[in-house]
Amino acid sequence: MRLKKRVKVAALASTAVFMTACSLPGLGAGLTEEGNIRIATQSSTEMVILGYIVQGMVNHYSEINADVIQNLGSSTMVNQAIVQGDADVAAVSYTGTALTGELGMDPITDPDEAREAVTDGFEEQFNIKYYPSYGFENTYAFLVTQELAEEHDLVNVSDLESIAEELTAGVDNSWMEREGDGYRAFLDTYQFDFETVYPMQVGLVYDAVQSGDMDVVLGYSTDGRIASYDLVLLEDDLNFFPPYDASPSVPFEILEEHPILDDILAKLEGAIDTDMMQEMNYIADEYLLEPATVAREFLEANNFFEDSEPYLEPVGGE
Amino acid sequence: MVEFFNNYGSQMMRLIWEHLYISMVALGLGVVVAVPLGILLTRTEKLATGFIGVASILQTIPSLALLALMIPIFGIGRFPAIIALFIYSLLPILRNTYTGMRKVNPDLVDAARGMGMTEFQLIKKVELPQAAPVIMAGIRLSGTYVIAWAALASYIGAGGLGDFIFNGLNLYIPELIIGGTIPVTILALLVDFVLGQVEKKVTPRNQITE
Amino acid sequence: MLNIEGLDELTQMNTLQQLIYYVQQNGSYLWEQFLRHFLISIYGVLFAAIVAIPIGFYIARHSKLADWVVGAANVIQTIPSLAMLSLLMLGFGIGVNTVIITVFLYSLLPIIKNTYAGVKNVDNALMDAAKGMGMTRWQLTYKVELPMALSVIMAGLRNALVVAIGVTAIGTFIGAGGLGDIIQRGVNASEGGAIILAGAIPTALMAVTADLVLAWLEKRLDPSSHKRR
Repeated sequence: MRLKKRVKVAALASTAVFMTACSLPGLGAGLTEEGNIRIATQSSTEMVILGYIVQGMVNHYSEINADVIQNLGSSTMVNQAIVQGDADVAAVSYTGTALTGELGMDPITDPDEAREAVTDGFEEQFNIKYYPSYGFENTYAFLVTQELAEEHDLVNVSDLESIAEELTAGVDNSWMEREGDGYRAFLDTYQFDFETVYPMQVGLVYDAVQSGDMDVVLGYSTDGRIASYDLVLLEDDLNFFPPYDASPSVPFEILEEHPILDDILAKLEGAIDTDMMQEMNYIADEYLLEPATVAREFLEANNFFEDSEPYLEPVGGE
Repeated sequence: MVEFFNNYGSQMMRLIWEHLYISMVALGLGVVVAVPLGILLTRTEKLATGFIGVASILQTIPSLALLALMIPIFGIGRFPAIIALFIYSLLPILRNTYTGMRKVNPDLVDAARGMGMTEFQLIKKVELPQAAPVIMAGIRLSGTYVIAWAALASYIGAGGLGDFIFNGLNLYIPELIIGGTIPVTILALLVDFVLGQVEKKVTPRNQITE
Repeated sequence: MLNIEGLDELTQMNTLQQLIYYVQQNGSYLWEQFLRHFLISIYGVLFAAIVAIPIGFYIARHSKLADWVVGAANVIQTIPSLAMLSLLMLGFGIGVNTVIITVFLYSLLPIIKNTYAGVKNVDNALMDAAKGMGMTRWQLTYKVELPMALSVIMAGLRNALVVAIGVTAIGTFIGAGGLGDIIQRGVNASEGGAIILAGAIPTALMAVTADLVLAWLEKRLDPSSHKRR
């Protein structure tokens, strides 16, 4: 009996140590420090870069310290962390994913409707403000080489129809089976098929089209290799793919506590276009630079968007 | 509970099978390599410290690091995962084989030599049966560890129950985390129990009283 | 936009050259994560030691409890670290504290077990002699048992720290930072082989070095090695 009591005391004591040890020395700029803004993000290069961009902006415009919590498994996990109070800002989520993932709703293909549904849904379900897009989306995109595009005047996906019977297509494996925005639905919407469709790992499609193994491929629109291989991204003119606009989100409660955060995120609205995001992804992956470095250089090159609305006074010493 | 099994039951069976498969292949390879190597080391004592030292350094490498190191070399999938688990299984088996063989009563070995046994006969008929329980204890330890470590193999696309845990962790689905953890732990305890029984079986009569 | 001139030859480099290049470019970040990784592991083990060493002493005096405590801790050890981390995440949320708690739990067993074994192994004759000298209970613990058992306890700490460094590596999955972040980034990058190495090699080195250093300490603390000198 006495042991149990002692074990209990010991367990309590150690828990107490953890709870009060909220800023263990050395874990400093730590994820645990009171008053710091904690920016949570997922694990792809793009998502981590965006996390550090938000951090850089917060540090530039306010006295608040900001930390990045990276490598969470999905936007659902990021959202969960925020709802539980383990994080304050979700660096990025994509409309289509937020709609079907966090909110558990059916996909909506109209971009404005989708955005509205997500914005309302986040406010109602989580009391979180879902911001307008950074200015780019990361969706599925049909890609062709510059040569093929010039030869056949290709701008939209529909333009492929007349020559599709002679084209080989390389696509993401999982796209073949997807409901709603997958291969079968594609045939229904665009009413044409390719000569042969080869499913493959999504990371391989860029090389496949560049080398000429495939005539057209389906890849991710912000992949850095689109720029480096000079590929042409065909416009989804029939709005077949649901929108995947990239936005940050923050609980209203946190915004009340740190009103400046709202202004800072507003500055990032529409600030990053697809080309910029592609380039940052490309540089980080091909030149082995840490996303933190890429984000810092990006912000410095753009002077932290100081000239864009709303006006904010940068904090000295940056 | 019922709903969980309806939704994930068949998938769970497949993952359990995958988990056992990669673990047991890795353990099998470990036995095939480490037991003869351990025996060999008892004949070349000078090399023993070196080999066991290397094996214990390999054992020290954190599992995430070892699995990640496999990617640039072997890519992803079951094969690199099995290699990594195999590396981990080596030390306990190697060490136990070596110490087990060395602890065989020297009188017994001398007697066998006196009977004109060849080196091979000596190993097969005298030393190995005497050392079997200690060797088996090493295999048992490796087996239990390999099951636990195999949970991380999902990280490099090798499947197994780690798939459930990772999916649960990534998408925040508590049922999947628990649905992966409980079978892995049961599997580890089961392997421990079964190999423990084998250990008892192989113990020579003259040792049981000890 | 970004200054990347003169880096074009990078794509022609082999993995080793890329690795060197990565370390040059991101050295301070790498060091930061290395330190963070080490500290997370150390904190977990230290907290565990504070709890486990007294428990070890206690069960050495109350042997009936020993089997029970060691058995329970043994079961904890068969739970894969990824599973334990995920389970604790459900209760404690994401972040570094949950990783420290996980390390704490995994460190308990080796430290309790070794403390117990170390104290049990103290020569009875020595204890009797000390009692005969009129030492109090506290003096016995402090002046006889602890120094005699220290080397064995150190072996437990060594074991715990090596495991801790491994557990901390997977802490990246719940956003705790450390070298796992670099490994994760390499796995996610399109051609990340070199980045994986930049994360995995220091992780492995940290574990191996910790093992060797504590093994050396263990030897120095071994009372029987003092006699020889």
